[in-house]
Amino acid sequence: MDQRPLSLLHIHVKLLGFSLHSITPWPNNPSIFYLNGKRISRVEILGVVTSRDYKPNKFLRFTLDDGTHSITCILWLNHLTSPFFASRQPATLRVISDWAKCFADDIQFGKVARVRGRVSSYRGDLQVTVSDVFIERDPDAETLHRLDCISLGRRCYFV
Amino acid sequence: MSMADANDLGLQEYSVETAIAVIADHGATLKVDTQHLRELSFRIGSIFQFIGELNIQPNNEAILQARTGRNVDGIDLDLYYQSLQQLRQFQAKHMKNATT
Repeated sequence: MDQRPLSLLHIHVKLLGFSLHSITPWPNNPSIFYLNGKRISRVEILGVVTSRDYKPNKFLRFTLDDGTHSITCILWLNHLTSPFFASRQPATLRVISDWAKCFADDIQFGKVARVRGRVSSYRGDLQVTVSDVFIERDPDAETLHRLDCISLGRRCYFV
Repeated sequence: MSMADANDLGLQEYSVETAIAVIADHGATLKVDTQHLRELSFRIGSIFQFIGELNIQPNNEAILQARTGRNVDGIDLDLYYQSLQQLRQFQAKHMKNATT
């Protein structure tokens, strides 16, 4: 039987804000971070949108507050103009761009958002580069996310 | 988060003129300034979640200057409080480990 520890590198690790802010960068790769000695690159977070900085066709920067910490998120809206994405297929970029615009419309002040994305560092601060957004309407969504994070932390992330 | 039993639950008072709401939680009450939340519909007895800055007045009264607010009627409050208890234990252990 394979005894290697479970890799968290390519899954979205469910984290509370205070745990996310405890991760440290991996020296060899700026897109990989250490969570209690385990390498991670993607996270799933959930919280109330408490700030929103919208630059049309460039980005939407917003913060999520989950009661343990505020988390800065960046949603890029420049897929069709930035040279960074030039190597991607135009049809794929159009789809990604349309989705990003929908997500930007969904992210409104006071809404509870579940966000998936890549962890990155910007000017020394952690941020999440958004790949997926879901607006929660269930009043228990925050409670259930909190319990999920605690359970996964105890059983997997912090063992 | 505001809550409690049937008569001591959620929104207790709301003034349209001042936009001051009073919420109750386990017998304690808190004033909330909701002047920035004009789109929210305030119904006595409903349960609300607010995030904002807590201001202490000269008379030692605390008022929450709400930045966001939402109605969370239907929330499972027993589960909510249990999850907070679990969170405090988890945070205490996690933060202790992080500093040792």
